[in-house]
Amino acid sequence: MQDTQRQPVDAQRAELVFSDSQALSLGVELELQLVNTRDCDLTRAASDLLPVIARRKHPGDIKPEITESMIELSTSIHTRHDALLAELREIRTVIVESADRLNVLVAGGGAHPFQHWRERHIYDTPRFKHVSELYGYLAKQFTVFGQHVHLGCPDGDTAMYLLHAFGRYVPHFVALAGSSPYYQAVDTAFDSSRLSAVNAFPLSGRAPFVLRWDDFVGHFERMRSMGVVESMKDFYWDIRPKPEFGTIELRICDTPLTVERAAAITAYAQAIGRYLLVERPHALSEDLYLPYTYNRFQAARFGLDGELIDPYTRARVPLADDIRATLAAIKVHGRELEADAGLAHIAAMLDEGNDARWMRQAYTASGSLADLVFQQAARWRGEAR
Amino acid sequence: MSELSFLPTWPPDTAGLPWFALILLVAVLLGEAVNRWLRLPRALGWVACGLAAGPSLLGLIDAIAFEESRFLLQIAAGLVLFELGQRVDTGWLRRNPWLLASSLLEAGFSFVAIYAVLWLLQVPPLVAATAAAIGLASSPSVVLALTRELRAQGQVTERILMFTALNCIYAFVAVSMLVAWLNAEYRGGWISVAAHPMWLIFGSLIVAFVFAAFTLWLLRLLGPRPDAQYMCVVALVVAAVAAAQTLRLSVPLLLLAYGTLARALDRDRRFVSLQFGRLGSIALVLLFALSAAGIDLRYVPAGLLAGVGLLAARWAGKTLGMFAVGRASGLSLRKASLVSLGLMPMSGLALLLTYDTAARYPELGVQLTTIMVCAIALLELIGPLTTQFALVRAGEASQASVQS
Repeated sequence: MQDTQRQPVDAQRAELVFSDSQALSLGVELELQLVNTRDCDLTRAASDLLPVIARRKHPGDIKPEITESMIELSTSIHTRHDALLAELREIRTVIVESADRLNVLVAGGGAHPFQHWRERHIYDTPRFKHVSELYGYLAKQFTVFGQHVHLGCPDGDTAMYLLHAFGRYVPHFVALAGSSPYYQAVDTAFDSSRLSAVNAFPLSGRAPFVLRWDDFVGHFERMRSMGVVESMKDFYWDIRPKPEFGTIELRICDTPLTVERAAAITAYAQAIGRYLLVERPHALSEDLYLPYTYNRFQAARFGLDGELIDPYTRARVPLADDIRATLAAIKVHGRELEADAGLAHIAAMLDEGNDARWMRQAYTASGSLADLVFQQAARWRGEAR
Repeated sequence: MSELSFLPTWPPDTAGLPWFALILLVAVLLGEAVNRWLRLPRALGWVACGLAAGPSLLGLIDAIAFEESRFLLQIAAGLVLFELGQRVDTGWLRRNPWLLASSLLEAGFSFVAIYAVLWLLQVPPLVAATAAAIGLASSPSVVLALTRELRAQGQVTERILMFTALNCIYAFVAVSMLVAWLNAEYRGGWISVAAHPMWLIFGSLIVAFVFAAFTLWLLRLLGPRPDAQYMCVVALVVAAVAAAQTLRLSVPLLLLAYGTLARALDRDRRFVSLQFGRLGSIALVLLFALSAAGIDLRYVPAGLLAGVGLLAARWAGKTLGMFAVGRASGLSLRKASLVSLGLMPMSGLALLLTYDTAARYPELGVQLTTIMVCAIALLELIGPLTTQFALVRAGEASQASVQS
């Protein structure tokens, strides 16, 4: 999302220079729900909570998001899963303890199960007010919560290769992170209903199939000269390059219910990234995208029970089997990155199911969506069920 | 003539007229008018309706009609107090002890400030102390009506609601202690001195506990059926009001404690999906109108100086208390000052305490009533405005309701 002030031309050029960063370094952003303790609906809390958090020392960064019921945490740059997880836990503790003082609950999950977007307050900054005016109800309806994973790339061409090669694995991440089965108080039948909310934006979808950074810059310049976009942030693609960080950014995950799962999903992305960069297993062509939206729908709708059409072999396989096969293929890379614990978490999920399944079980047991949110907050806090 | 005896008599017999229905109707219409044309809180329209119908203006509600509607008033108050009691989160007080500190300081400072100002105005100490004790109360109906009307959410809202409930409890306990003291002063008899406040306070708490435990047991028995659960809770709230009257306990204390305990003991969160929406709103309108009808405006000129002094002292005390530990409790000074403004309203509950004390101790009667009725009459009009100001300036009013 982007403000309208035109930047000076030099700054615009500088924005498109791809900063080098260490290959496969990691960074995570998590958007979190702020709910009240009375009926567990989303509440107006960010502008009260952030000053309380700011008084404490903590790693990473904690920022406002478009509505008052949301904050976003981001980690510093990491290379290892265990260090990332340790930092996530530390940030979580600071957030939870600060929120406790204000009687606010913090929860993961890709969407709030029963909030009414009419009640949402837009966070008071010029940029958010502008986005709200531009997109109207979409801005409030877009009160959905995602995990963004940044993967470092040494240069722009590598970034474009990685971005497109990753397209085949997008359904894995949708299914593993799916945690928004309920939306506006109904069971959507989707594991990730959040993804459908994202689809409503005009510039959502996928990046154009160009493999060289210079060609990508050319594409961007043409879009900008037509006035479609003003900056890279106006693209709401599933995966987009982030030249100023020197990363590609995966944006298709729902925020998981625990930091452990968020870290494991990040480790899985890192190991796939290393596998793709080191082995270069696939020759890329635009055919990659033929089954893309079908696969993405399958994963959002059925989660780990969905099926996937492999764009290279054209075989139809159960999604869970494909993840199992991928885990086997990336095993050495996981070991090399010392991300085994994270990959073990992913492997266990193939039996235990994703967060969407857990949420449906919890709701069936209690019969109350408010109670479900309360339990989500307990999970986020790190209390075992 | 006898053949036409089925026809109504003329002039009509007004004794059986359901005054409260008429008042409800007029109050609602006035509230909407005030909101639409003056862009002021609806509560002001409800109050205006009550004042106009009351004995000092049109005299539509006389003492008899007032007495007849008393039980209705008690039920309406019961529903409102129960709902407010549910907003007191004992877990929050435990997690953030500075909250209780700021609540106690705010109440303590305003008690001292009111007493000092009235003493300077040469009000007798006993009257000054009783007025200061009653002045601890904030109005549950005003804060609930405004948070609902503005659909307010946030720290200022939550704290205003919780501190209001706590202030009502402080006021009630302080007044019962003072009453005991008055007993000793005027009547002697140490048994009633010690026993009566104990009976009021602990009796109310114990009955509230029994009701809360029974309610939760019933909700568990019913399972997740919101409609049935809701009706049971309403029935139990009415029953609790009746129990308080039968046992000669305190309706406000019992109902506040019932609401608070029902939430505190609710480990399975059976209350989360219960909304008091419609019925609560009707109770609020009636409460505003009927308690405004109970204000005798003749007292206002005589009590003006002391009344205004009391209000100024009360506000200063609250602000000082909120400032003292506002930051430690996680609130900016700006928002702390808004909370103290939001706590300004006084209404029905304070009026009830005034009349009860005055009736029991005619020695204090006229002077206490003059001061308090004047202060409450002023706050019936100013209070909704200060609370609205606080919620809007804190940015906690719903953006949809502000624009509409």
